[in-house]
Amino acid sequence: MTAIANISPITAAIWVVLLPLLAFLIQAILGKRAKSGNIALIAIILSTLLSGVFVFAEIWKGIPRSVTYPWFTIGISTFTVGVLLNNLTVLMQLLVCIIALPVHIYSRAYMKGDPGIHRYWMYLSLFCFAMLGLSISKNLFMMYIFWELVGFASYLLIGFWFTKESAVQANKKAFIVNRIGDLGFLIGIAILFSVYGTLDLVELFGKEGRFLQTLVDQPGLITAAGLCFFLGAMAKSAQFPLHVWLPDAMEGPTAVSSLIHAATMVAAGVFLLSAVFPLFNAQVLLVIALIGVITAASAAFFALTQTDIKKILAFSTISQLGFMMVAIGIGAWDAAMFHLVTHAFFKCLLFLGAGAVIHEMAHLKDSHNLQIDPQNIQQMGGLKAYMPKTFILMAIASLSLAGFPLTSGFLSKDAILISTYEWAIHHGGGYLLIPIVMTIVSILTAFYIGRLIFKVFFGKFRTAVPQVSIHEAGNSMLLPMAFLAICSLFFIFSWNPISYHHAGVFQGFHVAYSFHEIHSLHIIIPIGLSLAACIAWFIGWKWYVKQQYPLQADSTLMRFSYNQGYINTFYQLTVVEGSLRLAKAAYWFDKTIIDGLVNGLGRFTRMLSQVSAWIDTYLVDGLINSLAGAAYYLGHLLRWVQNGRLQNYLGFAFTVLLIGIIYLIFT
Amino acid sequence: MGLLSLLIFLPLLALAGILLIPSRYQQSYKYVALVITLVQLGLSGYLYTQFNPNLAGINQLSGYQFVEVLPWIRLDLGAIGKLEIDYFLGVDGFSLPLLLLSAFVMLMAVGASWNISKSRKGYFALLMLLNTAVMGIFCALDFFLFYVFYEVMLLPLYFLIGIWGGERREYAAIKFFLYTLFGSVFMLLIIVGLYFSVLNPHTGAHTFNMLYMMNPDNYIDGSFFGYINNSFDVFGIPARMIGFIVLFIAFAIKIPIVPLHTWLPDAHVEAPTPVSIILAGILLKIGGYGIIRICIAIFPDAAAEANWWLALIGVISILYGAFNALAQTDLKRLIAYSSVSHMGFVLLGISALTAESLSGAMFQMLSHGFLSAALFFLVGVLYDRVHDRYIYNFRGIAGIMPKYTAYVAIAFFASLGLPGFSAFIGEAFVIIGTFNAESVGTGIPRWMAIFGSLGILLSAAYFLWTLQRMFFGETRLKGGETWAVAMNDLTVREQLILFPALALALLLGIMPSLAFEPMNNAVLGLLKLVENYL
Repeated sequence: MTAIANISPITAAIWVVLLPLLAFLIQAILGKRAKSGNIALIAIILSTLLSGVFVFAEIWKGIPRSVTYPWFTIGISTFTVGVLLNNLTVLMQLLVCIIALPVHIYSRAYMKGDPGIHRYWMYLSLFCFAMLGLSISKNLFMMYIFWELVGFASYLLIGFWFTKESAVQANKKAFIVNRIGDLGFLIGIAILFSVYGTLDLVELFGKEGRFLQTLVDQPGLITAAGLCFFLGAMAKSAQFPLHVWLPDAMEGPTAVSSLIHAATMVAAGVFLLSAVFPLFNAQVLLVIALIGVITAASAAFFALTQTDIKKILAFSTISQLGFMMVAIGIGAWDAAMFHLVTHAFFKCLLFLGAGAVIHEMAHLKDSHNLQIDPQNIQQMGGLKAYMPKTFILMAIASLSLAGFPLTSGFLSKDAILISTYEWAIHHGGGYLLIPIVMTIVSILTAFYIGRLIFKVFFGKFRTAVPQVSIHEAGNSMLLPMAFLAICSLFFIFSWNPISYHHAGVFQGFHVAYSFHEIHSLHIIIPIGLSLAACIAWFIGWKWYVKQQYPLQADSTLMRFSYNQGYINTFYQLTVVEGSLRLAKAAYWFDKTIIDGLVNGLGRFTRMLSQVSAWIDTYLVDGLINSLAGAAYYLGHLLRWVQNGRLQNYLGFAFTVLLIGIIYLIFT
Repeated sequence: MGLLSLLIFLPLLALAGILLIPSRYQQSYKYVALVITLVQLGLSGYLYTQFNPNLAGINQLSGYQFVEVLPWIRLDLGAIGKLEIDYFLGVDGFSLPLLLLSAFVMLMAVGASWNISKSRKGYFALLMLLNTAVMGIFCALDFFLFYVFYEVMLLPLYFLIGIWGGERREYAAIKFFLYTLFGSVFMLLIIVGLYFSVLNPHTGAHTFNMLYMMNPDNYIDGSFFGYINNSFDVFGIPARMIGFIVLFIAFAIKIPIVPLHTWLPDAHVEAPTPVSIILAGILLKIGGYGIIRICIAIFPDAAAEANWWLALIGVISILYGAFNALAQTDLKRLIAYSSVSHMGFVLLGISALTAESLSGAMFQMLSHGFLSAALFFLVGVLYDRVHDRYIYNFRGIAGIMPKYTAYVAIAFFASLGLPGFSAFIGEAFVIIGTFNAESVGTGIPRWMAIFGSLGILLSAAYFLWTLQRMFFGETRLKGGETWAVAMNDLTVREQLILFPALALALLLGIMPSLAFEPMNNAVLGLLKLVENYL
């Protein structure tokens, strides 16, 4: 027992990462024989335990630890692999475990009977491996590797139902858009390597890191590096204008959406920016804040009119990630991490709840042979009566998302919003626009999540069926959800339900803000927002439950929102079509110009040889032949003289004599 | 007889055996070829384990390992001195990994030739001749010997494409032959020029020894390629630069670079699967190897001056190849163009002249060797079954050939640079090293690294598009039920060939030091050679 108790946090953290990898390998070898998902489940349970007991408990608020092993050497620089355990990384690792575990349990019921289930468990284990590895990577190169691997796992899971055309279109899109970000990450790595000669996070940003010591004579390069890393984070965390992949990624199984595309992977961008935070200078931070606020606002606007339950949640995720980005942009990355953690729980829960609803709707569709989309909230309604527990759990998550008091979301949203106001007031002027927009977004958030709840759970069931055969989900789905619901309440994070300053997550980080605290804001904003949320819900209630809908459903603004601002259409017409046209042009150039030139050269050579053959036949040989011909003709001519007749000979002799005489006479 | 000679001439033994065994036992030819290539792989594996990674090679004879020197041709030419041609073999960190790669790819190619039915005797005999030539190229350290192997390589390839190829095989074979010959004929001129410019410091005779050509002290003052008092020029270009350019073009055709690449799509598409595998897996690497071993090491001064243009060509090849791949509708042609793009990274990495980029380029060659061989084999699998490669004729292959789809997906993702596989390490370090070049001062601007990295994005686009279009979705085939019946999943033999290739790509991706360690000192040695001229 003592041996187990003495396990070092480093060893434990490595096992946390390796266990899902082992599970992946075993399941890959077993193939179709590993249907139950037990292997994946055992791995993630052990990982969670190890992470909680031996890693988080040891390191959190304690002394950071790290270990480095050489990996390979190129020239004189050695590249390493290593584990870095500090407050940020152990928090992230534990969070991933704690979210992944309920999702695994939930999936057992949710994915039951799917013919490809063995692949599902395999991919899920692969994802956990990559995500856990990402969280504790000590150097950026290693982080980049896991960064791409999570993208790959996400690709596999989005396209899990690979016979569905929309699913395989979506996973292609997700991977390619993420690749754009990956390039940013890679170039960022290249910049840091060329300036500092190392990619080790501790060597770069640690207490006496090179980054803090070396005075760089190329500030432009460092700005560029910051922007490059942000590009990476933008793609992964679905920031405008690279957010387009996330709504489409909802084609994957809902349990996957909850784990990967809501709670963990998409938050990796925020995590990365927190890890390399010292790198950012004022300009880059401002860019981050601006992109964050644009994302938050646009996504909230698009969420207002979506009818697909998962798309609403997807845009909500994008919008919340925008909030986190703003927090990073203003320098409060502790607030961003706090919101990342709370958001992970309630958003995961929202998705799992949506999954339970979709599951029932799909059953309804199959048993009645209906032509409906089981994810369309227009087809739902009144489900509160059939799925009361699901309703309560989702309501808790919704309150948390809207930032209602007593929930975790209240704390973290306040942390971001209040800090943003303080930051803007410190800078003054146009900066104030950012927190004001975010306030509006917060109210919109309350409204759209209220709309979802009202449309799904209140009113009457809107699909015409003789008998509504919708039941509560089983316990293996409800229990994980209940666990997440508990984690969406305030006491998990802080005993003080109204002040975020006491939150445990917050106290793990010591971030020095560049702006002053303004006490009055800490009272006005929470109260104001809660009131505004209540008003938003009241309006929503009247519109969607009481059917007093005052708006034109087909107005331009509504269509603009429903079609996601036509951004996809725009990309399709410009980027996609553009590159395809360029590709076709390149191939035309290759075939016609370059190969044409080569073939032309070949033809030219052949022509040249034909000309020379002609010259050879008709000129060179012709000259020889005509010479021979001439000789022959001459001979032929003279032969005629030698005909053996005496009179002819005499005649010739006489003629010659005559010519001679004439010649003599004339000379 | 040394190990390298054994490695080179074992296939000739097989060739003799194949020619002697009467045609009624023609089933045995492939076994002869298989045994010999297996022995070769074992032998090169043994060389790898015995290789001392601390020795640099490049321009020091003492740095080469498994060296064999025999005087081959000695002629007294009177006034112009003595002719001195050696049978001179040896390997260093650049050639050893490529030797191992060649042995492996040859084995794959023999495995892929298992069902060849058209005149087996000639086929396997030519394959073995090609094998000898390829091994010889990577071992030869005498330029004359190198040239002999280089030319010998052309002959079997011409016939292998021209006889066993597809519909337009004759066109493709002639195109390939003429392209390569175009490069090598001019190479011969440079070889002669070098011969008259370099003296063996020990005997005072002119020499073809490449190592002597790498040392400026061995050049005669005022000779055509001499370092000192060299006033020769051709069309206003200094003689040493002309030498570099001509040699570069000869090898660049092999890589291939844009715009000298158009032989490649035709040759790959028309060649039978095993020959495509050899073309992509080994032949293209001869181009990269030649540039490293010959162009840069013998003309470091010109290389340092011209590397900006080389890198530009590399970037253009990356992007141009990728865009062309995106436009393809024939699966084999798509992979052929992706080769152009991936080999562009090799040229970019070599010309950036930093330790990271050069190692990355070498690594990319190895990686591309395994992966492109696997990719061409995979195309062959499909073509064998339904004799069609047109991408739009297939949809949802995953539904009927799940194993095949899994292998294709792994090969595609490995090729598009998924971490964990070798191509990622190769491409990432080419980009990182090239980016670093401006700081090191080798004259390659950073924007080239950034443009090069776009190739990584585009490779994701064309590979994923193909996956989505051909393999996923509802199963729909042009040939309908007939095709569905014909398209049975991978056989054991096919998996035996594919699995090791992909496993090696994975192994190299996880443990890059397997390749980096033996080549590291050679990389540093070469950079030191060039450093003086930067």
